[in-house]
Amino acid sequence: MMNRKNYIYILCCTCLFVLFSCRHGEGEYHGVTDRIEAESKNYHGTSISSEKYLEGIKTIEITEGEHTFLIPERKNQITSYACTECHSKPLTQMQGKDAKNAHWDIKLVHANKNTMNCITCHNPDNMDNLTSLTGNNIDFNNSYNLCNQCHTKQFKDWKGGAHGKRLAGWAPPRASMTCVNCHNPHKPHFESKWPERFNTETVKERE
Amino acid sequence: MSSDNKKWFSLNLNRKKKESSGTCGCGKTSGGCGSYSEHPQMTDEEFAEAAINASIGEERTKDGFDQVFDVKMDRRSAFKKLTASLLIGAGAVSTSCSVISGDESKEKAQIDWEEQFKGNYKLMDDDEKKGTVERLMRSYELRTGKNISMSSKNAEDDVLFGYAFNISKCQGYMDCVNACVEENNQDRNSQMQYIRIHEMKDGKGFNFNEADDNYYHEVPAEGHFYMGTQCFHCDNPPCVEVCPVQATWREDDGLVVVDYDWCVGCRYCMAACPYDGRRFNWSKPEVPETEINKNQHYLGNRMRKKGVVEKCTFCVQRSRAGKNPACVEACPTGARIFGNLLDPNSTIRWVLENKKVFRLKEDLGTEPKFWYFMD
Repeated sequence: MMNRKNYIYILCCTCLFVLFSCRHGEGEYHGVTDRIEAESKNYHGTSISSEKYLEGIKTIEITEGEHTFLIPERKNQITSYACTECHSKPLTQMQGKDAKNAHWDIKLVHANKNTMNCITCHNPDNMDNLTSLTGNNIDFNNSYNLCNQCHTKQFKDWKGGAHGKRLAGWAPPRASMTCVNCHNPHKPHFESKWPERFNTETVKERE
Repeated sequence: MSSDNKKWFSLNLNRKKKESSGTCGCGKTSGGCGSYSEHPQMTDEEFAEAAINASIGEERTKDGFDQVFDVKMDRRSAFKKLTASLLIGAGAVSTSCSVISGDESKEKAQIDWEEQFKGNYKLMDDDEKKGTVERLMRSYELRTGKNISMSSKNAEDDVLFGYAFNISKCQGYMDCVNACVEENNQDRNSQMQYIRIHEMKDGKGFNFNEADDNYYHEVPAEGHFYMGTQCFHCDNPPCVEVCPVQATWREDDGLVVVDYDWCVGCRYCMAACPYDGRRFNWSKPEVPETEINKNQHYLGNRMRKKGVVEKCTFCVQRSRAGKNPACVEACPTGARIFGNLLDPNSTIRWVLENKKVFRLKEDLGTEPKFWYFMD
């Protein structure tokens, strides 16, 4: 009789022990992904805003698919806009020896000659706008629409926020840099350079 | 001297040293040197040892409690030392209470006193947090005559910070490292850096053993890719678990932070971190006055002291104000993405849901909030 009582007592203790030891104090969620999913279900927004960091930056709002966000205005950043201020005559008349040289510093390093030349993007008959592959006008402010004709994957990532950089901060409203803020459209690749920093102390430590 | 295994050191004045190879201290091999016994000549090594002994004495060979308790002391010197420490204490009290000393030194003493006996930041209520931050700002002003702004902003509801790193975009420029050092007032002498950029060979996977995190050549190098590591702000941080004094913890917005005034410098957290995310101040951190970032947070980039651990805080002074961390802002390639994981419309959430992401050492269960992805 006594034996049996003891047995039950030990069994109960073991059960309790197992019950408590299963919780290693890891909190309510199994992982951070579960936590994100659960806690964002009733997301109400925060009081943090990055609006004050956007002051002084001219932006325009764009909507692409399900994404709506701000991008910096482009036209006011182009020093020689509007183009028609110089391009008052057709291009053929402006070429030649007596005309002043302009755009001499632009060399097209973007795709190969079969794919691209100046008029792939610029319309000689309408210099103030860009032109799509099918000849439609594209505003300089929305130049991403020109790029996304070929760079569809990058465009998709950019819309979502995986490609490119944010302006201001992480907090809403979302303001993202557009293609031409990082890539020179005439020479879009990133140059190689030397690293910004070299840690001489680490070298000493590892000697 | 060093050959016998004595744990203490004694000057062998007027005592002949055992001669091992027939030479005496002066280097002569024959004839003996008459002056030796009266004027023992020390070799450089012996002299250095004697000098060290004179300055730090037995602390060198004893450790822990022995250093404090196992001290030969007579009553006289014990009383002497007690009196000295009493005088120091009385001095501190008298400066703060005295009617003669200036208001400034009184205030300084008062601040030091209150800072000395404040509690753990984690347990403070908002008023206490404000109090300590104000004291620290005032103390800086009294000491240097310059103003800093220090925040004690708490974690906001509905915010959980997360980070994504695009391995295919990083070019190894290290602009992020530069920005981080400047933003977070890291020690310039030891060149402390929170961020490491690892240069890895293509086709070898993530092989940290063969990666180079201190390269200096034109980048990106042919046949290599780059991957940055820093504190991953784990959701289940092992560093927090091991801290014996709870000087480090996870805030509600997911940031793993350190109270530099509570840290005892045991470095358990450094041993526990599987990502090499923490750094120790072996010396007093020095930042030139002109380079100090004066926009500070108590848990972030305020000046640290010698003997405490520090780490990336996702620039708490910036991120809680809505800005991106300095590394994100500095990256010229857009390889770094930061945001609120709880906001379903945030860009970081889009990355997690639409790109193929992974984390380092996921099997450890540390749940880092730092994801890697590729284009």
